[in-house]
Amino acid sequence: MELTDADLVARIFVDDDQHAFGELVRRHQSAVRGLLRQLTRTDVALADDLAQQTFLRAYKNIRSFRGEARFSTWLYRIAYNCFREDARRRKEFVGIDEEQLQAQRDPQVVDPGLRHDLMRALSLLPLNERSAVLLCCQNGLSHDEASRVLDIPLGTVKTNVLRGREKLKRMLADWGPN
Amino acid sequence: MEQVNEEDWLDRELREAAPYIDDEGFTVRVLQQLSPPRRSHDLLRAVILLGMTFLASVLAYVASDGGRFVSVSLERLAALPALWIFVLALASGLVIAAVGATAAISRDRGLQT
Repeated sequence: MELTDADLVARIFVDDDQHAFGELVRRHQSAVRGLLRQLTRTDVALADDLAQQTFLRAYKNIRSFRGEARFSTWLYRIAYNCFREDARRRKEFVGIDEEQLQAQRDPQVVDPGLRHDLMRALSLLPLNERSAVLLCCQNGLSHDEASRVLDIPLGTVKTNVLRGREKLKRMLADWGPN
Repeated sequence: MEQVNEEDWLDRELREAAPYIDDEGFTVRVLQQLSPPRRSHDLLRAVILLGMTFLASVLAYVASDGGRFVSVSLERLAALPALWIFVLALASGLVIAAVGATAAISRDRGLQT
């Protein structure tokens, strides 16, 4: 029988079991790295550095995991904090540029595919909307869980998801259902 | 209804746009950066404690004239009535069980928080 995340956390908690932690990393690395790649606008090297920081920080602070939320939600919160600290250091521009929005809709721009366009459209969203859409629509978190991860009020999460989706729909209007 | 379909379409595309990322050594790199497991310190502590216990036992044996007080105490214990021995064993068992249960409960609480 496969051990649950809570079982593995308990093993780390009691025995400092690094094999158990390795299993947790294996289970969640794809989701965490994926989220960070989207947040960093597909900067793979930076995203993987931040993912490493995320897991090391999780291991160091494993005793603060109280099991009130899913382990993945707790990890996303750490990942988002790592990203935000790094973005602050880099003073990342997180706003959306209306000209860029128009460029996205320019019919002369050659679009190799919907997936590519979706990634570009996501990267153009402001950070607060991008992170809310990624967590709720892509990673399947509830609005409440996303509000804990992002440390913002529930209503703000809902607004950001709504606005983010609206912008995505505008940018991907040519791909949407008729 | 059209709105719902549109949202479904966007959600599905978003989910499919997040493919599984192969580990490719990521987990190993993370584990390599962890501090050594606490277990090695526990082992060292156990060895030191056992060594000290053994040394103290040898000293006590030598200092007590070959442990003569042990045989004297055992003789006294054997001379006690059977009921006393039973009560003594029962009391010892209860004390050990209580200590064990307390330790187990406190550890369980620690895991739950």
